[in-house]
Amino acid sequence: MATDKELSDFLKSVEKRAWKRAVYAVRDEDAALDIVQDAMIRLSEKYIDRPASELPLLFQRIVSNATMDWFRRQKVRNAVVRNFSDFEGAAGGDGDFDILETLESLGSSLEHESAADSVSRAQILQLVEAEVALLPARQREAFLLRYWEELDVAETAASMGCSEGSVKTHCSRAVHALAKALRAKGIGT
Amino acid sequence: MNTPARTFGPAAREAIESRFARNIAARLSERAENVAPEISERLRFAREKALEIGRLARAGAEVQSAGGGAAVLGFSRSPWWQRIASILPVAALIGGLVLIEDWTTRSQISVAAEVDAALLGDDLPINAYRDPGFVEYLKTPPGE
Repeated sequence: MATDKELSDFLKSVEKRAWKRAVYAVRDEDAALDIVQDAMIRLSEKYIDRPASELPLLFQRIVSNATMDWFRRQKVRNAVVRNFSDFEGAAGGDGDFDILETLESLGSSLEHESAADSVSRAQILQLVEAEVALLPARQREAFLLRYWEELDVAETAASMGCSEGSVKTHCSRAVHALAKALRAKGIGT
Repeated sequence: MNTPARTFGPAAREAIESRFARNIAARLSERAENVAPEISERLRFAREKALEIGRLARAGAEVQSAGGGAAVLGFSRSPWWQRIASILPVAALIGGLVLIEDWTTRSQISVAAEVDAALLGDDLPINAYRDPGFVEYLKTPPGE
């Protein structure tokens, strides 16, 4: 059973990322705050008997559910479902060697910040965030859970309610879409 | 000048994607740490509210699990003499009920005995011999 301090420390460590994640999804800062608060309350009220090690996965799942609840309340579920099923047409497949080379160069340039030659660092961060927000919902969710929240593939699949293979596909497509978009913006080239 | 495209195996491809993704995630974390002070404050308020609700829920659960069903009967985590004291009124009530039942039964038996004695000791009314049932009773040998 997680103690008050463990729960407090955990929430403090994830609240900003959770809020950002909700902002990417609902594109409304106030609504995102409501979602995060709702998720925090659900976690501390309903899962008080769970050990601290289970909190990250539980919280991510609760945030996802709270976001879906928000969409339901907004009566735009159909639009969300349409976005969720919009997996076709993204980058991928065997003909992606060029994009992989781009990924490689983008990765190192992002690490060493050479892209700051033409665009300021803050602008790059803003662009990266904007491109993440533009990803299809499922791709973005898989990408953020897997690489930002650092869940493993199985945990991400459990949180999203899909197979591990789907998680890998979503992540790969998200990475390729981001690389393509950033390259088009002149970052990392 | 075009350079020939390099070929990447699945493992290398996955490693490149992973490295790129983690770089992006690091940038997102950087952005997330620099949210507006107003947002940080509202998140802090939301967290404290959630923790307070959690504390109340936890306290409620502890009382429920410690007391359990016994709490209904007054058995919480109290000293032994308090438990005995809580039993005494119930024991006294049960004892009182048993005594009342015994007294009532004895009274009923006593009243019935008095009525029987009065009937047996009294003279037989003359009209009794006009009752066919009584006459039949007198003709019946004892023990049948």
